Formats: sequence, structure tokens, C-alpha cells
Amino acid sequence: MDQVLSLLNSILGLLFILLCLGLILFYLLSDHSRAKLNLRGIQAFSHFKREVDLAVEAGKRLHISLGRGNINDLQGGAAFIGLTILDRCARAASNSDRPPVTTSGDGVITILSQDTLRSTYRSLGTMERYDPTNARLTGLTPMAYAAGAMPTIHDEQISANIFAGHFGTEIALLTEAGERNRSLTVAGSDSLPAQAVLYVTSDEPLLGEELYAAGAYLGAGAAHSASLRMQDIVRWVLVVAIVIGAILKLLRILP
Amino acid sequence: MKKILPITNAIIAVISGSFILLGYFFPGVFGGIQSTLIGWAIILAAFALLLGIFNLAIVHWKKIGSEKSSNINSIVLLTSMFITIVIVGISGPTGSWSLWVFNSFQVPVEVSLLAVLAVVLVYAGARLLTRRPKWYTILFLVTVLLVLLGSVPLFLIGEITPLSIVRDWLAQVPAIAGARGLLLGVALGTVATGLRILIGVDRPYGG
Repeated sequence: MDQVLSLLNSILGLLFILLCLGLILFYLLSDHSRAKLNLRGIQAFSHFKREVDLAVEAGKRLHISLGRGNINDLQGGAAFIGLTILDRCARAASNSDRPPVTTSGDGVITILSQDTLRSTYRSLGTMERYDPTNARLTGLTPMAYAAGAMPTIHDEQISANIFAGHFGTEIALLTEAGERNRSLTVAGSDSLPAQAVLYVTSDEPLLGEELYAAGAYLGAGAAHSASLRMQDIVRWVLVVAIVIGAILKLLRILP
Repeated sequence: MKKILPITNAIIAVISGSFILLGYFFPGVFGGIQSTLIGWAIILAAFALLLGIFNLAIVHWKKIGSEKSSNINSIVLLTSMFITIVIVGISGPTGSWSLWVFNSFQVPVEVSLLAVLAVVLVYAGARLLTRRPKWYTILFLVTVLLVLLGSVPLFLIGEITPLSIVRDWLAQVPAIAGARGLLLGVALGTVATGLRILIGVDRPYGG
């Protein structure tokens, strides 16, 4: 019986993933994705875009912090969004005198951020701008990571900080450093304690799924818009399923 | 070659990702190849860590070369990194000298940063009303106050039972409901991110 339930569980899980995959491919390949996606206004992204333009004009730097998530587990998802944001920032600031700088608390994320910068500059034909020391590992424990990233915010003429990745409550030290430096802080994380702290300490917190919409808002490609549509549809499916489940439990139909 | 390498990277990533995903659903069939691939990933991650530390040393070496007032931090970092590597190299990762370095330097510094963090959070909470003067900010601060008062016995009064009941209700009903809503969004976002990489349209590995 347990084996049958386990197999059923696996099949349902796989069907869920296939549903998500099918919806992404459908919106990616169909004409729907070519129509302009109506996105609700998220103030953080509009402020961020403006700040990128101002940074380019003022000759200042953008700081993208990718957190200390390990890509071998769930925490890596948020860091991949950070890499997408890094790509968009590097492109937007391609005319700037000072290229963006990234900090992270994991070796693999550091290598991936170097790789993202390299491929972005290669695609722009400006490989001479690539400097591997602009993607830095600052520390391996939460506090060491925060302590290592704070001097970057203070010393590198940063005009805006974007925190996108897995953080804990130590992110308050980083947002505080941004505040003291009078630079904008846009921040999102997959961790609930970090989101609670960001609500209090960040200029523009990204809560829940808002971080994962960054690619669609920053124009990272049709795949990001398609996956955002998938998330909207599946979220409603899950909400309806949860409400129906609650009603069935209230009526004692479900144990 | 410039075009072949990114395509090869993408093919390797898509195939590896598919096997690892299938390994979660059908461990009997794909479990072996899944654990082998994860084992390789862990070895590569260890090398990435070494490269990251090397990168950290280069960044601070360059900072020492530049004439800035903040390069004293870089000198301290490089010196302590060198001394730690020597000590751990001789004593071993769990040797008494290595543990002495960890317990005498790393732990006190991290604990003091935690104390700073507590002060920063209190200050940020107090400043929240000027940052976002909205009704939900007041609701947030009142909730924080209620939870704090309900969590600790008060001076000379002790525990206030109604506040404890309110604290329990806040923690178990609205907080859990909100947290589940946020986690649902995070989970769907993570699935979407993973699928974009799995089908090769998002290539964070420079493809």
C-alpha cells in the first residue's frame, strides 16, 4: 500500500512539473507571448530601472548581491534570478565608466556570476570591460559574508544595491550599509526571515514571488514572461484546490 | 568552436538536469545516476570554493596596491587568511590549533555582529513609520509589540495571559497563513526558474 501511495505521489509530482513545463512552452511558442504582457506595477523595479540610468549618467556603480545560496539545493533558485538581474544590469550599464560589481557567499555562485559577466560582455562585444574581480566571494558564513560585502557598499561609489538570492537576517546589516551610503536598496529573498527583515530595512522590498518576476519586468526575454504567466495560472489552480480542500474538511468529507 | 561550446554546455546541463529531476520521482530507476551526478557536482563545488577564495585574495591584493585609506582591512584579511591556512594545514581541520583560531576569533566576531544586527533591527523598526507612513505600517508595529509583550514575562508583572493568547493566535493563524502564501509564490518561482534552465532557455553557465 505504501509503495502504491509513494508511486502515486511521484506520478502526481511529475504531472505537476509537466503541467508547468507545458504551460511555459505553450506561452513561449504561441502567439500569446508576442502580445505585450500586462504587468502590474511593482515600484521596486521602476525605481531600479531609473537608478540604473542615473548610475550610468553619474559614473557610479551598481552592486548586485547574490546571497549565499547553494545551487545544489532549493536556495539556488533565488540566486539564478540574481544572475538574470546581473545580466540585465551589465547590459544596461554597458556605457558606464564603472561596471557593476557582484558579491556572493558561495563559491559556485561566484564562478557563475563571473561567467554571466563574461558572456554578457562577450555578447556586447566589449570583452575588455570584463574583470573577474568584479564578481567576488566575500565570506562563507552568514556574518562573514555580510561583513565582507559591507566594505564594497561603502568604498566603491555604489548608487544602487540589488540583493537577489538566499539571505538570512544578516541582510539587515547590508541594507543598513546601503542606507548609510545613501544608495537605493532593492532586495528580495526566498527566505521568510529575510523577507520579514527586508520589509523593515529595505527601500524597496520584493516579497514572495515578486523576486522571481524580475526577469519579466527587466525584459530578460520571452521565457521569463511565459514562466510568469505559468506561475499566475498554477497559483490560481492551487488556490482553488486549497479552498476546495478546506471546504471538504469543514464538511468532514475529508479526514 | 565559439558556437559549439555553448551548445555543448547547454546539452550537458539539460541532460544532467533531466536525470536529476527524474531521480526524485523514480529513485529506483534513476536514483543511481542521480547520486553520481550530485556527487560530481559536490566535487566541482569544492573546487569552485577554492577558486572563490583565490578570487577573494586577488581582490584584496589589488586593494592593497591601490592607494586608498581602506586597504588596512585588506592587509588584515590577507594576513589572517595566510596564518589560518598555515595553522589549519599543520593542525588539520579539527586540530586543537584550528579550533582555537575558530573559537577565539571567528565565533566572537560573528557573535558581536549578531549583537549589532539586533540593534540595527530595533533602529530600523523605530524608523519604519517615517519610511512608510501607511496604515499597514502601524498594523505591523502594533503586531510586533503585541507578539513581543506576549512572548516575555514583564518586569514586576510577570506573564499576561490575554497577551499570550493573542500572541499564540497571531503566530498560528494570520502569520502561518501569510507565510504559506509567500512560500507558495517562492515555490512556484523556483519551479519556473528550474524549468527555464532545464529547457535551456535560461543559461546561467555562460551558454
